Amino acid sequence: MDLASLIYLGVTFGLFVIFALIVIRTYSKKRKDTGEIAKFRMLDDD
Amino acid sequence: MEKVDYNYAIVRSFVTWSIIWGVVAVLVGVIVSLQMVDPDLNFPPYLTFGRLRPIHTNAGIYGWGVGSIFATFLFIVQRLCKVPLWSNGLAKFQLWFFNATIIASAVTLLLGYTTSKEYHEMEWPIDVMIVILWVAFAINIIMTILKRKDEQMYISLWYMMASLVGVAILFLVNSAAEPVSLFKSYSAYAGTNDANVHWWFGHNAVAMALTAPPLAMFYYFLPKSTGVPIYSHRLSIVAFWSLIFMYLWTGAHHLLWTPVPDWIQTLAMGFSVMLIAPSWGSVFNGYLSMNGQWHQMRENYLVKFLILGITFYGLQTLQGPMQAVRTFSAFIHYTDWVPAHIHMGTMGWVSMIAFGSIYYLTPRIYGKQLYSIPLANLHFWLILIGQLIWSISLWVAGVLQAGMWNAMNPDGSLTYTFMETMVEMYPYWWARAIGGVIYFIGVLVFIYNLVKTVGKGDEESSEQALAEGRA
Repeated sequence: MDLASLIYLGVTFGLFVIFALIVIRTYSKKRKDTGEIAKFRMLDDD
Repeated sequence: MEKVDYNYAIVRSFVTWSIIWGVVAVLVGVIVSLQMVDPDLNFPPYLTFGRLRPIHTNAGIYGWGVGSIFATFLFIVQRLCKVPLWSNGLAKFQLWFFNATIIASAVTLLLGYTTSKEYHEMEWPIDVMIVILWVAFAINIIMTILKRKDEQMYISLWYMMASLVGVAILFLVNSAAEPVSLFKSYSAYAGTNDANVHWWFGHNAVAMALTAPPLAMFYYFLPKSTGVPIYSHRLSIVAFWSLIFMYLWTGAHHLLWTPVPDWIQTLAMGFSVMLIAPSWGSVFNGYLSMNGQWHQMRENYLVKFLILGITFYGLQTLQGPMQAVRTFSAFIHYTDWVPAHIHMGTMGWVSMIAFGSIYYLTPRIYGKQLYSIPLANLHFWLILIGQLIWSISLWVAGVLQAGMWNAMNPDGSLTYTFMETMVEMYPYWWARAIGGVIYFIGVLVFIYNLVKTVGKGDEESSEQALAEGRA
């Protein structure tokens, strides 16, 4: 495997890790209420 | 509650102009569909299929599609952030520069100036105009978001920002070219690299201009129309990020069985299939938001547009990945199946959402009740039937075409000549033209309804308008 392929693989893996962290953070129990509050606020009389 | 001085005048202007360009797009679409069945309707050099077809696509995508995105984004951003636009002057500049850009595009395409890159046909001076236009739009939206009153951003704002950033990157990279005169340039890339960059742009223009913005609109206008929140905001966030991570890798599925390296094709194929997940994340979120509210499909004309729109999105995002699989692509690529797929997306998904959004907006930005709900329902059925006739006839045509192209005699020679396959297409092309005419009549009903609404004398409160929207 040459350097370019390794970098390519590394970037792909890095993106996957970032995505996994976003999913974990979004679905963490601590953030359950704050994660859903926007859908109620958008219905407020504006 | 503090009263916010929202700028609805600019929304009204963008709604008007997007509809004007939408009429041009559909009308020219009907004309080119008739040119396919009667070549005598080509009037060289200007009014030929080759010059009118890009006017149809560009007026549709950039005039109607992006125009309605401008209108709805400028409305949504103010309402979600609960602040007025950052700059009304910049929005006004954006409106007139938008129209100047569309007119310049139409005129130069009619005159035959083209880069020959599909969906990016305009020559470099117009590319510069598009960049200025998009930067003005992006600055206004982002600055308005920055001064918002709520810390938590609703999902529509995420999709809006993705669209602003995504379109900018795609357009700048694909625009790289060396001008040799005022109306001629050559791409900065060569050969397969050029094709790869071009379809990276082409497919992701679909993502960032025709997927992210309608999703922003859907997530805003569906709960506003039903009066109940979306099923899960967290699901929408995860679907958003997975869409962003996956979409940008899929462009090369337009280049299956070409000299582009196999691994790029395989990568695009894999990510295209994976893209079903985020797409259907939004579809399920939409359907689950209707739990206990399905009666509104019968009672609320806005919901009909929005739910049929997301349904076509679901169908589109199943059919698309299927087409991105090598074996299936080998059969249907270059046939009439492909424009049928595209038009289910543009006429079914994007336009249904845009029509529903504009119906929601109109009573609020004009302070008047919609002139006629029965006419809105008639509009709905005409565009649905028109689009289905159009799409189904060309799916059948595509399968027939592919079958005939692939048919071989025992000695290995082709069973049919190309002309024989063409002759078989005529009934389907007539059906497409008829479907287009029905769709166009539906658009005229829509315009009549809006014109009568705007011309009505009775002003009413936004509460009354809201009640009317649910009627």
